[in-house]
Amino acid sequence: MHNETERRAALDAFVATPSGRGRPNRYWKLDLDALDVSAFTPNAASTTVTISAPNGVTACSLEEALDSFADIVARAQEHRGNGKFAHLTRAFAQTGAFVHVPAGRIIDEPIHIHTRANDADGAFALTIIVIEAGASATVIEEFEAVPGATLVYDSHAEVGESARLTASAIAHVPADARVYVTRSARPQRDAHVAFSHADLGAALAVAEIDITLDGPGANGELDALFFPSAKQHVDLLTRVDHRVGHTTSRTAIKSAANGSGQGRYLGIIRIIADAQGSDASLRDDALLLSRGAHIDSVPALEIAANDVKAFHGATIGAIDEEQLFYMASRGVPRDQAEKMIALGFFEPVIEKFPTDSLRKQLREALEAKLA
Amino acid sequence: MPQTGLHIHDLHVSVEGIEILKGIDLSVEAGRVHALMGPNGSGKSTLANALAGHPHYTVTSGTATLDGEDILTMPPDKRAKAGLFLSFQYPAAIPGVKVANFLHAARQAVRPGDLSPSKFRAMLFEKMDTLDMDAAFLGRYLNDGFSGGEKKRLEMLQMAVLAPRYAILDETDSGLDVDALRSVGQAVHALRATEEGKNCGFLIITHYPRILAHITPDVVHVLIDGRIVMTGGADLAHRIEREGYDTIRDEVASRA
Ligand SMILES: Nc1ncnc2c1ncn2[C@@H]1O[C@H](COP(=O)(O)OP(=O)(O)OP(=O)(O)O)[C@@H](O)[C@H]1O
Ligand SMILES: [Mg+2]
Repeated sequence: MHNETERRAALDAFVATPSGRGRPNRYWKLDLDALDVSAFTPNAASTTVTISAPNGVTACSLEEALDSFADIVARAQEHRGNGKFAHLTRAFAQTGAFVHVPAGRIIDEPIHIHTRANDADGAFALTIIVIEAGASATVIEEFEAVPGATLVYDSHAEVGESARLTASAIAHVPADARVYVTRSARPQRDAHVAFSHADLGAALAVAEIDITLDGPGANGELDALFFPSAKQHVDLLTRVDHRVGHTTSRTAIKSAANGSGQGRYLGIIRIIADAQGSDASLRDDALLLSRGAHIDSVPALEIAANDVKAFHGATIGAIDEEQLFYMASRGVPRDQAEKMIALGFFEPVIEKFPTDSLRKQLREALEAKLA
Repeated sequence: MPQTGLHIHDLHVSVEGIEILKGIDLSVEAGRVHALMGPNGSGKSTLANALAGHPHYTVTSGTATLDGEDILTMPPDKRAKAGLFLSFQYPAAIPGVKVANFLHAARQAVRPGDLSPSKFRAMLFEKMDTLDMDAAFLGRYLNDGFSGGEKKRLEMLQMAVLAPRYAILDETDSGLDVDALRSVGQAVHALRATEEGKNCGFLIITHYPRILAHITPDVVHVLIDGRIVMTGGADLAHRIEREGYDTIRDEVASRA
């Protein structure tokens, strides 16, 4: 993976890079900038990565790819994310996945990358996905952790001209586990990226999702949901970077919290001065299902170009009494109505997940949280 | 021997501390059709919502019983289980909840386990056919993005599926084209033609006698300023259409 010098540099960068998240407050007690990495004593046995891919795709461990596809890996590495937790992954990762879809190849069947945290020492994995020009693929990033584990995961996708990538991740780990997930993609001219993401609550789930639109006609779609319950914390950051003109993006976030669940969301849309003619939308809806639950949503529209469209809309609140009364008037008891309305609230994001089994898994997990 | 019928006695209802209904006496007998007419703001929807148990409407005094059971002490879902149905003037939209799932949950709540899933589906399609509704409705989200007419049709579908003992239709006819209006009439007749619904009593709140051409009322009540000021036969609806409410107001004033 990385040599000792690179690891040291990555660790220094992790410490030096601010998380960019809010400071701890009355609700949110954790300070992501004060994370103590001395607790991590990862060894090769801490992390298991399993990849399954249909014919026509090159899929192997990142270790193998560094031998056989060193130049492709090196090119992709240049563009990977530079967030705080991406540095953390680089400092410790000893394994990972490599997926390469050759130019023009259309792959219908999803590619699965399964990352497992085997112990409490810290699991670290790096994923590199390269979709060459005109190719198309769906990647499902799966996580699993034993109780008490910490999983730190970073994936980056290079999406070539007119290529398409649908990538989906669900972080559904034991209630005392911690996950730090960084996912990024760089679609080039006329390329399309659809990211879907779900954080269903760990003791702490930190996620940072980046789409960098790096060629005219590039389009990014980002749909995410999160749901902290009991004492869980979820901290999601999404960033869509319109780096050239005539790029389009849509971000939609649905979140709910119950028990003493705490959520934070920071939604960044950046359109630089040269990115004229771009079109971005950011919509974020939060549902508070108990008095102790709290969600803090912050949109950040950094728009330096003048000839662009940028939409932002947000709602936060409890379930609408009129909706509950309507359902009650048809005999549906309040607790069942609340459950149906809350599940329905997530449905537009659930529908963006690429397979029936993911959608089913999500609905069941959400239903269990609402029980 | 419990007394059948929906009986409302001296009902006073306030909204945000303001008394809207000032002593309503009204009885709808099983199997009969009553119409309730009155000018805008007279309190018709207030009566409907108070009976259904809307939390914003406070009953300050009076009683309401449904086939002998006091409904005012029940939460709204229990009132539905007791057999009350309200077709809303402005039905709420619930994004993400599919019509089919909701209908099933409602039927299960009101009549638990009485139909197998396949029988339920067959029943649903039959009712939709009667109401001239496309099967595509079932996959849509509840009232979400529905036109005014579509919402009213869905209200009638729910009435058909739940087969209540007493149904209050709050301006279900308003804003409907002629075909949709006819289908409201059909919904009422179809319900009365079923074993479950043959004794259903109706309270039809309306501004227009044209719905009453499809469903002839046994009794017409006039509500003005929170009080029922006149009760008569079907001809009363036509008098209101001809003369408006002014002559009724005058008549009531001279009686007092
Ligand atoms: N939720 C509410 N909040 C505040 N005022 C209300 C509410 N509901 C009813 N009111 C008031 O009570 C009065 C009666 O309203 P209601 O809706 O019962 O009239 P209506 O007879 O149904 O009128 P319409 O024919 O226009 O439907 C009106 O003055 C109305 O403003
Ligand atoms: Mg009304």
